[in-house]
Amino acid sequence: MQKTILQMDNITKYIFDEHGQALRGTTVKILEDVHFDVKEAEVHVLVGENGAGKSTLMKIIGGIIPADGGQMFLDGQEVTFSGPRESLANGIGFIHQELNLCLNLDVAQNIFLGRESQKGIFLNKTEMYEKAKEMLLRLGFDINPHTLVRELSTAQQQIVEIVKVLSYECRVIIMDEPTASLTKSEIDKLFAIIHDLRKNGISIIYISHRFDELTEIGDRITVLRDGRYIGSVDIAEFDYDKIISMMVGRKLTAMFKSTHLVQDKVILEVKGLAIARNTPPIDLTVRSGEVVGLSGLVGAGRTELAKSIFGSRPYYGGQILYKGEEIGHLHPHRLIEKGVIYLSEDRKLEGLVLEMSLKDNVTLASLKRMYPKTKINFAREAEVASESVAKLNIVANSIEQLCNTLSGGNQQKVVLAKWLLTTPQLLILDEPTRGIDVNAKSEIYRIIDELAKQGVAILMISSELPEIIGMSDRIYVMKRGAIAAELTAKEDFVQEKILSYTL
Amino acid sequence: MGNTQVLFSQRIRKFVKNNGSVVIFLILALLASLFVKNFFALNNFLTIIKQAAIPVIACLGITLVLMTGGIDLSLGYTLGLCSITVGLFVKTVGLPIWLSIVLTLLVGLLVGLINGTLVQVVKVPAFIVTLGSGYIIFGIAQIVSSGSDVNRLPASFRAIGVTNILGLNTTVLISLVICLIMYYLLHHSTFGRALAAFGFNAKAARMSGIRSEALNILVYMICSFLVAIAAILLTIRVNCAQPTMGGGVYTFEVITGAIIGGASLFGGIGTVIGSVFGVLIIKVLENCINLLNVSYYTYQAFQGIVILLAIIFENVKNRKL
Repeated sequence: MQKTILQMDNITKYIFDEHGQALRGTTVKILEDVHFDVKEAEVHVLVGENGAGKSTLMKIIGGIIPADGGQMFLDGQEVTFSGPRESLANGIGFIHQELNLCLNLDVAQNIFLGRESQKGIFLNKTEMYEKAKEMLLRLGFDINPHTLVRELSTAQQQIVEIVKVLSYECRVIIMDEPTASLTKSEIDKLFAIIHDLRKNGISIIYISHRFDELTEIGDRITVLRDGRYIGSVDIAEFDYDKIISMMVGRKLTAMFKSTHLVQDKVILEVKGLAIARNTPPIDLTVRSGEVVGLSGLVGAGRTELAKSIFGSRPYYGGQILYKGEEIGHLHPHRLIEKGVIYLSEDRKLEGLVLEMSLKDNVTLASLKRMYPKTKINFAREAEVASESVAKLNIVANSIEQLCNTLSGGNQQKVVLAKWLLTTPQLLILDEPTRGIDVNAKSEIYRIIDELAKQGVAILMISSELPEIIGMSDRIYVMKRGAIAAELTAKEDFVQEKILSYTL
Repeated sequence: MGNTQVLFSQRIRKFVKNNGSVVIFLILALLASLFVKNFFALNNFLTIIKQAAIPVIACLGITLVLMTGGIDLSLGYTLGLCSITVGLFVKTVGLPIWLSIVLTLLVGLLVGLINGTLVQVVKVPAFIVTLGSGYIIFGIAQIVSSGSDVNRLPASFRAIGVTNILGLNTTVLISLVICLIMYYLLHHSTFGRALAAFGFNAKAARMSGIRSEALNILVYMICSFLVAIAAILLTIRVNCAQPTMGGGVYTFEVITGAIIGGASLFGGIGTVIGSVFGVLIIKVLENCINLLNVSYYTYQAFQGIVILLAIIFENVKNRKL
């Protein structure tokens, strides 16, 4: 029996701000009573859908954010980490999906950043470069420690990151989707290193979306879903269907009511659009009164596609036709005039002006239409904002309340209210219910259905499969910048099926 | 009710946030009236208003720029360029007065267009662009004037700024009209709303259909346009067109006024009333220093302290809790 190194019990985390602190008054839990443990010299794979809470859990282990409840034990001792440094000092290394290296420094400087060896008041450069070289060689990589990190390939940079973490004598290493940007041969090398590390008694927590990898390197798999611990399975008992059903096994609730009817008129037609230089062309249509779901993993290119349509991102060839008219590369203000809107996945960065009031945000996209002579009619503005508040059930002290003091669900409703006020005919919704509570969600679904009923064409990006299945009349699945599948028959709207196209 | 209490405290906070400079001005004026001899006199008040009238115009210009999150360090040099431009046109070249003024205002607009375009299109930070363009503008002003002033301007030209109507100087009246126009623009028009949104969150503003690129350039043009007006009035006031008029010290003073008035260096926040009182505060301090016979150098150091305090205050006030 292997010794348990790290154990987490009943970990709970509320939805948090950029400092990791729970939002005031929130009841939305990202993690709820999660259990997780790591044994000595094992590769423990963590899987789950987007938003299942994997990254949040890892951030807690890595000391980046504090847990709001539960306990964490290291070698049987209860610990709490106040920051990444403390976690590292306790032997837990975190290799992030986006590497944290200084591109302008060389390999050895990166490895020893912040704890350079010294000789008197001078840096002991010879020692550092020799040590770095030795450590790299031990992993079987002949990288010159004098090379600038900028000049290394992504895989090599990852190696540097691993060496850096190892040089802290870590016993547990967290790898967050390390293979996402690697080629096949680089992945093989990485796996060889992982095997090697395990042989030396080091444990690895491995987050991945790629099922083919799991059986190759994993010892144990833990599944998270909706912020809850679903179960752990030994790799010997690995069963593809079982894992999938653990990942999705949710019941569709009565949240989704479809009262709209798809009409014949095509509103949006995307022809042969390439979102990057080397991705295959994308074809897509949305009809009047239709809700089209766009599914896929994070990074599959869904947001890129939406932003290409909305003119805030360049694309590489192809056509975007709105009611038969080419609209590619138009400025947002022209698109909004024409009735095309894009609800961004990041409401704080691109959706709202947080420092302005609810009222100002609601009318922001309609200023030109409401006041063609530029003079603001404050009475009319208050009226319009109050109507929106009533229509969308926005909970706020007054229409003058600043948006940064509203809850996530209400913020999202304000963004939606802003767009509805422009009387759109094509709605591109990017994760319309991210980070909001169940009640607000069901209200947003109701609004979407209502709009479709009025003949609005809706393209909805979502990582939540029940939402995609419950709302859509048709579903596109994206994978690596291309459309992997188009599902038109309702009987094909099955979580397992959609998921299999995304992986 | 808890809700109404929150609202009330919010309202008070909002008032102090938006009108802090009015409060400070009143306190300052009260203290000066009590402790500075000769301060409390109608004539002295009129002097302060006269002295504030011209910088207020430029200050409203920089307020708009600050609201975008940018800055215009070339402001003082633009003032010098416009001063010598109007002097040369109206006296040396001998163009009609109205044409000289129109051409000078066009020079202002052109400077703003160049500054704004560099900031928006080339995406160079505003303080670097305007630091560089400021020196270029200063150089051009020296070249066109061969470094010398233009004195004794035509009386008919001077009449624009020094006539008295209803006991008030036309310069003060022009300044007042500009304040009113700017008040409308900033607080009652879609322009002001769009500007605030752009200053707080340029990305969200753009995606909400605000023509942020054009807006940003336009703001620099309005700023330099207002500076050109200030330059013409100041040239009239001192009866001498000087290429060295304004300069870095003037830029500093005007920015100080806007910041004391509550404008944020990080964009989004700025008010006409705030900036007007910001300049008035500076002028009251200057006035007291004069009345107390303190040296001008001491005053400059003092002004530095005031701007630092204003920035620290702003930082504390706007810190997100």
